[in-house]
Amino acid sequence: MNASEKILCPVCRISFLLKEAKEEGKTVICPVCGAVLTLTKAEDTWTLQRPVHLSPQEEIRDRVENFARLRGYHFNELKEPLIEGLLKKHDRYGDFYCPCKIDNIPENVCPCLETRSGSVEKDGRCHCGLFWK
Amino acid sequence: MKKIMLYALSTCPFCKMAKKFFETRQIPFDAVDVDLLEPEEKERTVQKVQEISGRRAFPVIVIGEIVIVGYDELRIKEALQE
Repeated sequence: MNASEKILCPVCRISFLLKEAKEEGKTVICPVCGAVLTLTKAEDTWTLQRPVHLSPQEEIRDRVENFARLRGYHFNELKEPLIEGLLKKHDRYGDFYCPCKIDNIPENVCPCLETRSGSVEKDGRCHCGLFWK
Repeated sequence: MKKIMLYALSTCPFCKMAKKFFETRQIPFDAVDVDLLEPEEKERTVQKVQEISGRRAFPVIVIGEIVIVGYDELRIKEALQE
């Protein structure tokens, strides 16, 4: 992969340009969803993987903090109950699906597609109240 | 007294806030945690929520004929007074 090639985020499923130097095991933050990812190389192909060294709690906390920082969003007192809801979803359904949506599908993985598509700009907050403008 | 129905998810803080809103004011209401229902009843209830709210997101609060999607205290108060 040369510097101009895109690499796929396994969380938000968006490909982005990885401009930094590539090293096996390097930590990369997805500029779209804030996911903490690990760069790995297999048979000459670089890919990004979900981190195995983080607990679910560390993974989702890092992700939402990164996403808020990237977008300039804020949290309030709803953050902790929502982290708890996200961890319950992870326990029950295997991923950090939106705690306020019934469908446990990829587009509802936090930060959900609706949020990444600008609902916070439009409504002042995401549907759940995790991210605030 | 208007009939109040709260469709909620057990993982959703705004749903808990909606329950608390009615409880602290001692306003009678019915509520269901849709995600904790048995599969068939869950699907039936989700279909109903989608029909009345146009969404598959929670909370959905029905006060009389008024449907409120999401937790909005002002709209709840207005709906109770209408």
